Amino acid sequence: MFDFRFYEIWREPDFIDRLINGVWVSVELSTAGGVFGLIMGLTLAAAQSSVSPSVLRYASISYIEGIRNTPFIVQLFFVTFGLPLIFNYRWPFEASALLAIVLNFSAYFAEVLRAGIESVHRGQIEAAQSLCLTRRQTFFDIVLPQAFANVWPSLTSQFVFLFLTTGLISEIGVEDLTWSGRYIADRNFRDFEVFIVLTLLYVLIVFGYKAIFSLVQRFAFRWRVAR
Amino acid sequence: MTELLQLLLGEFHAKMLLVLLSATQWTIYLSLTAFIGGGLIGLLFTVLKISPIGWLRRLATAYIWLFQSIPLLMLLFLTGLGIPAFFKIDVPAWLAATVSLTLFTSAYMSEVWRGALESVPKGQWEGGRALGLGFNWILYSIVAPQALRIATPPTVGFMVQVIKGTSMAYIIDYNDLMRWGKKIANSQLDGAEPYIVYPVVALIYFGLCFPLSQWSKSLEKTMSPK
Amino acid sequence: MTEDTNTGSAVVVEGMSKFFGDFQALYDIDLTVDYGERVVICGPSGSGKSTLIRCLNQLETHQQGTVVVNGTELSENTKNIEDVRRNIGMVFQSFNLFPHLSVLDNCVLAQRRMLKKPKAAARATAMKYLEQVKIPEQRDKFPGQLSGGQQQRVAIARALCLEPQIMLFDEPTSALDPEMVNEVLDTMIGLAETGMTMICVTHEMGFARQVADRIIFMDSGRIVEVNEPEIFFTNPQHERTKTFLGQIL
Ligand SMILES: Nc1ncnc2c1ncn2[C@@H]1O[C@H](COP(=O)(O)OP(=O)(O)O)[C@@H](O)[C@H]1O
Ligand SMILES: [Mg+2]
Repeated sequence: MFDFRFYEIWREPDFIDRLINGVWVSVELSTAGGVFGLIMGLTLAAAQSSVSPSVLRYASISYIEGIRNTPFIVQLFFVTFGLPLIFNYRWPFEASALLAIVLNFSAYFAEVLRAGIESVHRGQIEAAQSLCLTRRQTFFDIVLPQAFANVWPSLTSQFVFLFLTTGLISEIGVEDLTWSGRYIADRNFRDFEVFIVLTLLYVLIVFGYKAIFSLVQRFAFRWRVAR
Repeated sequence: MTELLQLLLGEFHAKMLLVLLSATQWTIYLSLTAFIGGGLIGLLFTVLKISPIGWLRRLATAYIWLFQSIPLLMLLFLTGLGIPAFFKIDVPAWLAATVSLTLFTSAYMSEVWRGALESVPKGQWEGGRALGLGFNWILYSIVAPQALRIATPPTVGFMVQVIKGTSMAYIIDYNDLMRWGKKIANSQLDGAEPYIVYPVVALIYFGLCFPLSQWSKSLEKTMSPK
Repeated sequence: MTEDTNTGSAVVVEGMSKFFGDFQALYDIDLTVDYGERVVICGPSGSGKSTLIRCLNQLETHQQGTVVVNGTELSENTKNIEDVRRNIGMVFQSFNLFPHLSVLDNCVLAQRRMLKKPKAAARATAMKYLEQVKIPEQRDKFPGQLSGGQQQRVAIARALCLEPQIMLFDEPTSALDPEMVNEVLDTMIGLAETGMTMICVTHEMGFARQVADRIIFMDSGRIVEVNEPEIFFTNPQHERTKTFLGQIL
């Protein structure tokens, strides 16, 4: 009854190459998106601190709410097909995909990081003040490391959740893992097997990411475990 | 209503907006079905997950892990394209979309609810047992009401995830807001440029999601313990 | 810059009042502390002791009256608050060590950032004060790995690393298990012997009797009584002081 034909994927070297390339593109774009998204998210979160001008604060909150309350696919299509018309300048779809990912991830990261920043005990900031650290030094030397440590698990699961949505970039022709799967399924008509394999590959990538995140946790936040 | 829109936006844009708004109903139907269906199945697996019977717990763990790990996009492809191709049957887009989003919702909801149940202090269970109450009764009358306070805000918040998730269903040709937005944006008509259409589509999604996230946030404030 | 005025008093507070919104936490405080003087502040919980000493390094800002520390008047828009703060060390009830930095780095950080000292010099200073508080061997541990008493001694060393002229203590032993109180008090007594100007909020009356030049009793946001330890303990002037001493002695 179950007539699985996974060999219809393996037997074609082109298919294998596409899959490998797809894994690579997905990992590359989501990693880059994660890193830049984190930097932008940090900026957004910092802009919300009580000392920043209220214009900045509202701009940051509006941006975050705007992104978090609209689907990624709409953002992606706007960035890919709308923005180039506005600027009258075309750029590669990969760039659009990366831009959309960064814009999207940053809002979610900002929300997590804001919670992290708020979770740092007031006494820490007072101690820093009484030691004459400047605001900037207090933020980067004292608050941020503790904020990251406090929300690292949330950051991990948020990143994984977001990573699982990046397959949508195949819709604009970026040759990521999902795109490769659809390419293969269009040719061997074994959609079921192809998407099972794809799912497994996504799960494996998630394992990889989780391992990296917990490695960081083990080393960078050693002080938390050591009590 | 229609005339007012035409007056405000001009005939073309009024028509566009009406088409998009009427497509939005399919987004809402899908969201509601997935949320209710996913909620019920999620509830079932939440109870299994904390049940005293070992293999039921493991079953629930496996279920929750599985459907949190499969990307929603893959669920849609598997149910909308994979199963029809494999079993040589016809699966309508709405069914594939509903099943996918329901499975997706159920896994995340049971995770949230299990977390809420576990955050109720162990002493409450022990107290119940000391009174000679059984598992079902302790759960129903002592633990669940407390967990509800903790679980309500993230549950409402997850509705936002569900609505955003439905936007992926257009990929298997489900006729929702996203699909019509894409159609119009691709129409090459003057006034239907992507930089106009997608912001409008985004605004409609925002109109659905933003009130829910605000509601979730205010619940978080009022319902936070102590 | 501030050196010229250092011949005066370390702290001069005149007619100072502090509000939190509508709530008045301090009423018309007058207080002068000379260099080298040791002052102990005591009083019931909520009487404004913390608020008073936090006004001295502008962790809180006062609304009325004047506060002059080390010759610099503090106000909302004090530009040179850094100059004031670097001369005031503060020790908190809850230690407030930086948990993500090693003991040594806790002591080094401000020297590097504020005083722009080279690494080696900063470490040398840090070790000098870690030795003074008798904890040099813990330099590479994280605060979370130390006992409360050890953490508080590190906090004292950390404050000393900026070589302040005034040290503020806000109930430094209140969060400690009883068996650790003495190691911290001994450290503070040692510090007093070096001639440091100290303002300590504490209920450790043995300590107060031993090192304080004056004891200040506060109640409901007011300074009720100021006296030398001998008189304060044997012959308190005010009824409320008597009641308070009756409760804690
Ligand atoms: N940040 C604050 N906001 C409002 N009220 C405060 C604040 N800090 C202290 N208070 C109030 O000021 C009074 C004095 O507090 P505090 O100086 O901490 O007392 P003590 O240190 O003597 O126990 C208390 O009634 C307290 O509730
Ligand atoms: Mg206090």
